[in-house]
Amino acid sequence: MRFLLSAARKDLLRIKNDWPALLLWIGIPLMVGGLIVLVFGGDAAPQAKLLVADNDGTLIGRLLTGGFQQGPLADLVVVEPVEPAEGRRRMEDGDASGLLIIPEGFGGAVLDGEPAALELVTNPSQTVLPEILEETLDIELEAAEVIRRIFDDPIDRIASGVVGDGLPADTAVSTIATAFNRSGEQASPWLLPPAIELETVAGEGEEFDFGRAFFPGMLILAILFMASGLSIDVWSERRQGTLERALVAPRSPGLWLAGKWLAGSAALAAVSAIGLAAGRWLFGIQAENMPLAFLWLALVGLALLALFTVVQVLARSERAANVMVNAMTLPLAMLGGSFFPFEAMPEWMASLGRLTPNGWALLRLRAVMDGAPEPGILAVSFATAAGLALAIGWLVSRRLRAWAA
Amino acid sequence: MIEVETLRKEYDGLVAVDDVSFVARPGGIFGLLGPNGAGKSTTIGCISGLLSPTGGRVRVQGHDVAREPRAAKARMGVVPQEVALYEDLAAEENLRFWGEAYGLRSGRLAERVRTVLETVGLLDRAEDRVETFSGGMKRRLNFGCGIVHEPEVLLLDEPTVGVDPQSRVRLLDLVREQAAAGVCVLYTTHYMEEAEALCDRLAILDHGRIIASGTLEELRGSMGERDLVRLAGTLDPAAVREAVRSLAGVEVVAVGEDQVALAVPEASRRLPEILNTVAGTGAAVRETTVTRPSLESLFIRLTGKELRE
Repeated sequence: MRFLLSAARKDLLRIKNDWPALLLWIGIPLMVGGLIVLVFGGDAAPQAKLLVADNDGTLIGRLLTGGFQQGPLADLVVVEPVEPAEGRRRMEDGDASGLLIIPEGFGGAVLDGEPAALELVTNPSQTVLPEILEETLDIELEAAEVIRRIFDDPIDRIASGVVGDGLPADTAVSTIATAFNRSGEQASPWLLPPAIELETVAGEGEEFDFGRAFFPGMLILAILFMASGLSIDVWSERRQGTLERALVAPRSPGLWLAGKWLAGSAALAAVSAIGLAAGRWLFGIQAENMPLAFLWLALVGLALLALFTVVQVLARSERAANVMVNAMTLPLAMLGGSFFPFEAMPEWMASLGRLTPNGWALLRLRAVMDGAPEPGILAVSFATAAGLALAIGWLVSRRLRAWAA
Repeated sequence: MIEVETLRKEYDGLVAVDDVSFVARPGGIFGLLGPNGAGKSTTIGCISGLLSPTGGRVRVQGHDVAREPRAAKARMGVVPQEVALYEDLAAEENLRFWGEAYGLRSGRLAERVRTVLETVGLLDRAEDRVETFSGGMKRRLNFGCGIVHEPEVLLLDEPTVGVDPQSRVRLLDLVREQAAAGVCVLYTTHYMEEAEALCDRLAILDHGRIIASGTLEELRGSMGERDLVRLAGTLDPAAVREAVRSLAGVEVVAVGEDQVALAVPEASRRLPEILNTVAGTGAAVRETTVTRPSLESLFIRLTGKELRE
């Protein structure tokens, strides 16, 4: 037991002395998490820039583009008038989400009920924003068609009235106003109130907090990176001959390995504790859920360290070991719900991700942090992680002598 | 005491050590001498318990290494061929860890760490990280880690490879001090002069087998009183071999197209005769070397090649 503590103390000193690596292991996931939150979860919503080349210059064209600047769309779409040539050049440069070209005679065609065509050029490098522009334009055109049909008579009167050079006579204005009123009255039974009513029901409870939703994933990611980095130390010890020296000492290789993992677990636990404290400060994690979350993270860290150590001792060289561990770590990080939440993945990928060790650990960490863990499942999970670490420890310690020699 | 009986070690069918037997006694320095790849490190590996022998038996202070590994290892100190230290820890922390690995605790541990730092001349650098040390300092600390627990048996695997002359002298002194204190020292090297200067008993290994063993005097005696004469140049090996037969008491040890090695009694007196005989075969001799009887000349005589080849 004393040698176990000696070995752990030695490795803790080495981890402490290599503090830049420690910072890197913690820093990378935090940086990745921060970037994800900034890119997808920040307050600033993405905006679509719509370039409008209006060759028609009539009221209809202005009404059409004005529709993009009404209500919530005004926050999402920025309309900028341009000349057609400039618009096309800027689209080629990828400077906007879309270019709307209103051809000459468009307004007249709409008023006359004749076929008319608009040209919308979209940016192929964007997906969502051009689609919003297209959908909005479709809705506007359909609305225009409905209005055209309802107010067919007054619109015809306006169309015939504006053909001349002078202003329409008072009698014509009066006739048009009366025609609008009648058409409105006729349509009101099915327009007011609308036949279909949309009711939006907001879910009860706290508002969705992107950072908090991602936070458990970031913690698991930090543990995953750190366990992967710590596992490389068996190769360092082999390269510098200290493993061989340890194996000729009158101590069990298992104790040497256990000391190394104990030190690794202590470092992982320290990082978990710091992470959880940060989580409480930044995202209001419930204090009563923190001790169990801490225990779970420390145990998961140990199990991941054990898992990566097996890969290290199975590799034929240090370089191969590094490649293998990195080749494991990155896909695990991607699939395991830390980079992308399971909810945002295709179902087949989410199912796969939930089966990864870190994905499995993440689901349980979330349950613990939400204060809703199922005791039975949690007990089995703790036993599974501990059992995995023990079994791997036994296997690796048996292989150490042959591996070192 | 180290007792090695008919030791054999195979790796995937390749025999690294075969039928090796010797006894190293307390207070003495037993040298295992041989070129690179002769099987010295494999022999040390089997004695230290790092490798499992394919056959034979090793006892350390009466404890069978295979059956009582813990008891045998507790009495051993090992100084590996390569420096085996935690470069990211201080010298003191390295000694402390290896002392604890051999069961030293608290006051005794602190005392031994300090004594060893003093012995290896690193007391003033005790708190410095090993990565800041020179090669010679690392070698001395490497030695210190092997003796921190005061072993009864000390295994040294080529501890002076790549060491500067000053540190080498210091290391050899340290080895002598251990033997003088009653420790049984097993020392492997491929430096003949080192073995001659240090060891009281020797075994010469080649291709995994002991080809000669005994005290330094016994081994020198097996060479007779003959010197080793080496003539380098352009030779006809068959003609030289035939011509040398006519020289009384001269034996061809090895001959090739660019060199011939001869065992010659009173070489300095007979050198003109030898040169005339060899030149008579049409050889062009560019260099002549005469060596007094030594382990090197014995090794050449036994194997037909130089130790460092």
